[in-house]
Order: sequence, then C-alpha cells, then structure tokens
Amino acid sequence: MVQLTINGKQIEVPEGTTVLRAAEMAGIQIPTLCDHKELTPYGGCRLCIVEVQGFRVPIASCTLPVSNGMVVNTETPALKKSRKFILSMLFSERNHFCPFCQVSGGDCELQNAAYREEMTHWPMQPGWNGYPVDSSHPYFVLDNNRCILCRRCVRACAELAGNFTLSVAERGAASIIVADTNVPLGESTCIKCGSCVQVCPTGALIDRTSAYQGRETEITPVKSVCVGCSVGCTVTLRVRDNRIVRIEGDWEGAVNRGVLCEHGRYHPMTESRQRITTPLMKKNGKLEPVSWDEALGAIAEKFKALAGDAHNGAAAIASTRLPVEVLTAFRQLFAEKLGAEMVTSTEEGMTTAAVAALAEKQGPFEGRLEMLKTADTVLCIGANLARSHMVAGFFIKRALPKGMKLINIDPEGDELDDLADVALKNKPGSDLALIEGLKAIIIKENLGRVPMAVPNAEQVIAEAVQATGLSLESISLAARMLAHAISPVILYGKGITAKRDERLVESLYSLATLVGAIDKERMGLLSVKGEANSQAAAQLGLDKPFSLNGQKAVYALIGDDYVSKYLVERLSKAPYLVVQTAYESKLTEVADVVLPVTIWSEQEGHYVSMDGRVQKAEKVIQAPEDVRDNLAVLTEVAMRMNMPVKIDWQKSLHERKASVVIN
Amino acid sequence: MAKPKIASDWMCGCAGCHMSLLDMDERILKIAEMADLRSTPITDLKHPDESGVDVGVLEGGINNTASEEVAKMFRKRSKILVALGDCAVFGGVPAMRNFCGVEAALQQAYVDAPSNEPGSQIPNDPELATMTKTRAIHEVVQVDYNVPGCPPDPDVIFYVLSELAQGRKPELKDELLHWH
Repeated sequence: MVQLTINGKQIEVPEGTTVLRAAEMAGIQIPTLCDHKELTPYGGCRLCIVEVQGFRVPIASCTLPVSNGMVVNTETPALKKSRKFILSMLFSERNHFCPFCQVSGGDCELQNAAYREEMTHWPMQPGWNGYPVDSSHPYFVLDNNRCILCRRCVRACAELAGNFTLSVAERGAASIIVADTNVPLGESTCIKCGSCVQVCPTGALIDRTSAYQGRETEITPVKSVCVGCSVGCTVTLRVRDNRIVRIEGDWEGAVNRGVLCEHGRYHPMTESRQRITTPLMKKNGKLEPVSWDEALGAIAEKFKALAGDAHNGAAAIASTRLPVEVLTAFRQLFAEKLGAEMVTSTEEGMTTAAVAALAEKQGPFEGRLEMLKTADTVLCIGANLARSHMVAGFFIKRALPKGMKLINIDPEGDELDDLADVALKNKPGSDLALIEGLKAIIIKENLGRVPMAVPNAEQVIAEAVQATGLSLESISLAARMLAHAISPVILYGKGITAKRDERLVESLYSLATLVGAIDKERMGLLSVKGEANSQAAAQLGLDKPFSLNGQKAVYALIGDDYVSKYLVERLSKAPYLVVQTAYESKLTEVADVVLPVTIWSEQEGHYVSMDGRVQKAEKVIQAPEDVRDNLAVLTEVAMRMNMPVKIDWQKSLHERKASVVIN
Repeated sequence: MAKPKIASDWMCGCAGCHMSLLDMDERILKIAEMADLRSTPITDLKHPDESGVDVGVLEGGINNTASEEVAKMFRKRSKILVALGDCAVFGGVPAMRNFCGVEAALQQAYVDAPSNEPGSQIPNDPELATMTKTRAIHEVVQVDYNVPGCPPDPDVIFYVLSELAQGRKPELKDELLHWH
C-alpha cells in the first residue's frame, strides 16, 4: 500500500493506482474527459491536472501513479484557471454550440465540465473550420465537429470490442476520427457493437434511435439481461413513456462490463415484424380475431381430450428465448400433466444435448467466460464468434494484441480466421478426426500435461490429415501451440454440438485435460450454447429432436423468437396447431389458434447463461392492451384443463446434472 | 436615490430571450418596482437615453453593420452591459453560417433553396446593412455579464436583473448556469 495526501486528506491505496483513481477512492472528484474506467488511461484532455508538491508544473492525474508521501492538490486557484483555459481551447477548436446538440443539458461531459468551472462564455471564439460528418452507418452518425479527440471511441473499439476499426487520421487541429483507412463507417470493418457511442463524452457520436428522445435525467434506467444469446450480458435499458429509448451495456455487468454487440444493442431497437395484438382463430379457413375466452376455451377442450396419450396425443415445442419460469410451466403442463412424449425446445438440443450427455457422467466440466480473460492460448472450434455470441468473441479479439494466441477451427471459416495464429478450415464432418489428431500429436511428441496414451498415434495422425484435408504441418502447429500454452482455454460451439455426437465433446474434454485447460484449479473448457435460455431448456430436458408421428395437436410456444423455415415446414403438418407468439410469421399463417403474447421487455423472468449464471430480466414496458404475459397464458390454459401448474424453477434447474455450475 | 435605469434591445437573435424575459410573469412587476425600464424592443421607447442607463441588455449576436452600431451605442450608453442568451454570448445558431461564409449562406437562402421562386436573387438594396461574420458581443464590445441559455430561464433573467437593479453582482453557477 502507498500513502499519500490529497487535498489535505491522508489516504492509503494499492501500489500502481493512479492519482485520479486514488482521489476517487477518497471521494474527491477530479474533472476529466478522456478518462473512462473501462479503458486504459490516455492523458489526452489534460483536464485532470493536479498540483503535486515538488513537481514544477501541473500534471495529468489519470496517468500519474501514486508514490509514497506524495502531496497532491486538486482545486487550487491556479489549477482552476488552467482548467478553464484548457476548456476554452477545446471549445475554440470546433463546433461546440450547445442549443442544437442532442446531449446538451446534462448528457454532455464537456458542457458539464464547463459548468463545473462556472464558465459563462468562451474567452476564445471558434475558428469556424468545418470537419467531416459521416452518416453512412445504420445505427449512428459520426460528427467530427463535436469531437474533442479524447479517443475514448478509438480505445473502446480496440480495447473493448477488439475490432480496431476506429482510429485518428491527420495531425494536430486537423485530426479526425476515421474508420479503417478513412472509408465511410457504413462500409468499414465496423461490427456495429456501438461501444464507441456509449463512451463518447460529447455529441460527436449520435445514436440514431435515441437522439433528441430525452436526456438521461428524463429517461429511467433499468438494469436487465440481454436475451439476444446465451452469453448473458447485462444491459441498462433507458425507458421513457413506456418505450425503450436506448439499450446500453451495463458497466457493472459481471459478464460484459459495459460491452454489447449489435444483437443486444441495436436489433431490439429496429424490430420490424408485425405485432399480433388480439387472439386469432381459424374459421372457415381464415384466421379471425376472437376473444381470449373463446381462444383459450377451444385450446383447453382440444388438448384436454388428448391427455394421457403419450405418442399420438399432443406435442409441444417452446423457444429457448423464454424465461425459465415459462419453460418450467410449459414442461409441467405438456410433459407431466398431459403426458405427451414429444415436448422439446425450438433448439432441439442442438447446442446442449451432446454437452449434457457428458455432464450426466461427469458432472460440471465447463468453466466461466472469465477464463478467456486470463487465457494465453484459445482454441476456438465450431463457434463462429464473429457472427453469434459476439461478446465472447470480443474477449478473445481484445486479448490478441496483448499476446494471446488463437487457434480457430471452422470448416466454413469465419472472420476470426484473419486474426488467428493458426486457422484450420477442415473438411466438414472431420472435427472428431481433427481433435483426435491434435491429441495424438501432443501425446506422440510428449507434450501433454497428464499421462495419456494413444495406441497407433501415427495412424490416428494420418487419419486426421486424410479426413480433414489439412497438412500435417498445420495440425502439428496448432497442437504444439495448444500444448505449450500455460493457461489454455478451449471454446466450442454449435459446429461441434449440432451433430448431437457425444464423442466430439468427450474428445474435446480429453484434449482439454491433456493440455491442462482442465485440471484441479482450472475449468478452461466452455461451450457457447445457443439462445438466452439454452442451458435452462437443457436442464429441463427440453432437448430432443422434434418430429411429429401422428400427434393430433401441437402447441408451439414461440414468444418473440424467430421461427426457422424447417420448423414451420414440420409444424405445418400438424392437424391442429396453437401458436403462442408476439409476431406474425410464416408459422402463424398455418396456425389454428394464435395467442398474442409479451415480448422480452414486457415480461420478467430468469435466464441461465451459457456458463451457468442465473440472471433476472426485468419487465420494463407495459404490453399492448390485449396482449398477455407468456406465463399467464400457459397458467390459464392449464387452469382451463383442470391441470393447474405449480412451478419451482430453481429446483427444476438442478434436477439434471449440468455441464456448468448453475448459480 | 433614483431607481436604476434598464434598457434592452435585440440584434441577431430570435426574440426568444425577450420572450423568456416576459415569461417571468408577475415578477416583471418587481423588476419594474426596483428599476426604471427604459427602451426595449417591446415598449414604445426604442433607444436608450442619450444620458445613459445603468444596465443595458442585449439579445442576439452581431451579424451586420446595423447590429454592430446597436452594440456600440449600448456599450457607450450603458454602465453595465449584459449579453443575454446564447447568440449574444457565443454567436449561437446564426453563427453556424460562419462555417460556410456569408456568400454561401445568402446564396443558399435566397437562390438555391428549393422553396425559392426560379430567378430569385440575393437582396442588394443599398439601404440594407452589410452582412458580416456573426460574432458574440464580447468580440465587438466589452461585456460585463454573459448570461448564456437558449433562451436563459426566466428565473435566471429575473435573478440577473434583480441583482443588478439592487446594485449587486450576479453570479451564475449551479442551477442558474445553463447553455441550452
């Protein structure tokens, strides 16, 4: 610990702390613009200058580490004068006229800094130079005229998203923020995560959907969970007048620490599907609006008659985007009370069944996403993190410049291939041979951490080369890289699990053990699963492949999820189809009854992330008038069939052994 | 002691700051009790007394030779000169034309804009004042108090005027300091 004095206050902070953070710990606020707690200190704006006894001139506190006996002052008259001067220079540089800026009036850190210094005007007027405005991006506008060159956006792009799209072009007063080699943002390598917009201290990055929709003081922040995928990012939903104005990453979020991806931040804001707002029933071959009473009555009558007929009675399928409360009630009603055999989820176990099979024998063997933060080598196989579960991809991409090694394996190849140290595009269907080959090479070259034997190593290796279509050199390179790692992590996805082949997961597990990704202390094997509640659906056993063999009625609980063409194809063969959904789709067209229900933001409930975190999503907006809550509808259907459901979802989650520790 | 005299005028602004002044409702009577309201754009008397006033209040920036004259006259005739609102303090919205220049702004407004009749011209009557770069008042004459805001809140205007009328120095900070 280091002892120092700030504004006469004696404080003790850990070594390596900056003066700025030390002051914060002591409750002393030093104004700053370029600093951000999730980004590395930059020392660009100079607003955080302090006086340190013995130093000739004021110094930026954000980049100054504390030392023993340091005496710091943060609010002397000379400092206040300097800060005013620094702000004057910033204001004189570009167009910082407040009246028509969307962040003016509380949301602008530059304006707030000026208020703090009690500035009533600019001693120096602007130079009237225009700077480029880039409005080519679908979600935000970059106005360089509002930019103070703090480079928070550049750092967020690099350090949080690991994408390195934004940078600074030109020098001095001519500096501008550009994408790639100064191409329009909309045509750049931007992955649309919006982290840059979230950190911008001024109005230079303008969010298209929320600009001028209310300042932070006028909109209510609600912390919730993103249901875009199974990563389990926490979000801050900014709500006004029963409307979500903006979605932000929660800086306190255990998983994501403020970061979101396009799926979490922007997709829910650009929802374009047609909402269903009243129950519909097929009459004379046409769907017609009916009352809830009529619709529910018809459903109850139909399904009740099928009770007890496991094979030819009812079938039911539910989306893995629904809260675990809904999934639990769903299983209880259809599998337990009605006794139907075909009760599953829309993912049909594609991302979990093979994992669960090993978990049955093994107990938990998968770790948490945090493992990626300390990994020195990552083997990523069949996960396509550039398209889905993107935030997990950010954790890898942001660590690559710090020296993390990446082995990316995907038969189709993905964007991560360009960044990978070794990218293996094996022939489809050769994953098992490849993993076994990697193991055999490590064993043969005696690089394993634990004793493991392989009969006919040469033959296994030859088979791997043969099956994958890859060279021995490239497979060996990957094997050695993984084996030499000190803290390796293996991350796999749908490419591995979709085949429902337990041997693939077992093979990966044994590879992880061999290279020390899994040992007594570490659980460096993870799978990304699928949608927000894949893991919960797996725990409830809703993971079998869906098929219809003579069932007389099907209940499809879709919620606000999308429906695949393949599922519509199979469901349209049902003699009687109930669709509980929020949006019109190809599926509702073939339904006999459609029940309009809540979407993610209109209902509360719990979600189990890919790594077993149980988190609660909040209800933040009131659903349209005739739309009902997903759980309430299920409960009502059950009541009408005289089969009331009583759920204990926490208990249900632990009925079956999980691959992850659920808590 | 005679009541302090207050005069006001507007230049390159939108009159919004004077509307905000009127928006202080019945408190304007208190100002009238404390001070002698002389010339304003919304009363009969149009120019401040030649013998001078205690407080001159100017809304709007300076964008042509006419407003330059107004500013200079107010400076000459006022003991204390107040710049009222963002245009007076910073240049405000009209200053945006400085980014493209007077010529281009006039061309766009009178000729190129789709709402103009074909063949429209930039007005060139010699009686018209000559357009200049839009400036904050403090760029042309010395200002004693800058009161930002677009417009400044009626509470802020009341505070500033009542303090000045009572011979005190208004201090704009915290809740009273707004640029928007």
